[in-house]
Amino acid sequence: MTTQIVLSVVVIVLLIAGLAFYLYVVGSQLTRVATNLEACAELVRTVERNASVIQPGVEQINHTGGVIAGALPLLYGMAEGIVVGATYEPGAAGERGPARPASGRRRSRLHDSVGYVPAAGGAASQPEPDPQVPA
Amino acid sequence: MQLALTSTQENLWWGAIAGGFVIVLAVAALLTILVMLVRTIDRRVATIRETLEQAATNTANTALIAETAAQVDAVLAEGLEHHLFLGRVLGKVRS
Repeated sequence: MTTQIVLSVVVIVLLIAGLAFYLYVVGSQLTRVATNLEACAELVRTVERNASVIQPGVEQINHTGGVIAGALPLLYGMAEGIVVGATYEPGAAGERGPARPASGRRRSRLHDSVGYVPAAGGAASQPEPDPQVPA
Repeated sequence: MQLALTSTQENLWWGAIAGGFVIVLAVAALLTILVMLVRTIDRRVATIRETLEQAATNTANTALIAETAAQVDAVLAEGLEHHLFLGRVLGKVRS
């Protein structure tokens, strides 16, 4: 009889102690899991906040880059036109004449010293006698 | 204190004691399985946390994308200035 009572008490104590122990262990584990999940939730919000600016920014970059890529052919077309218009093109190489002074032909005084006056028509003629020179 | 029990009652009591031990063992086994599963959950949640920390680190500089977009817009504005300049020069060269 006494043995039965003691064993009954032992079984009940074991059941209660076992439940308490496992409850404590599972409780501590679940507390750690809850802490980690709270940190995960905060990290997810951080990642979501960081990622929210990616799409509009990349869309704007793509749009602007497309405009730039479309305008570049026009720019270098204009630059090529400038290069073609500003490049010096020498004329056809012809026979080069003698160098002449820009001031024109210089009148020679040798003719005056000998009393020669060329005719207006270009033909050589006799000079008019100088009144100061004796004939 | 002396209880007057019949042999049937005493046998039932022994049966209840044996059943109690079996139940204690079964509860211990089931709770051990529960603890192991919760430990697995804890490890995997910790792994997820590490991964999310790396993801947060990797996306920490995404604020620069908006600044990059603004600078690309500035490049476009400068390109428009070049367009106007080249248009003026081209008109003078052709004339």
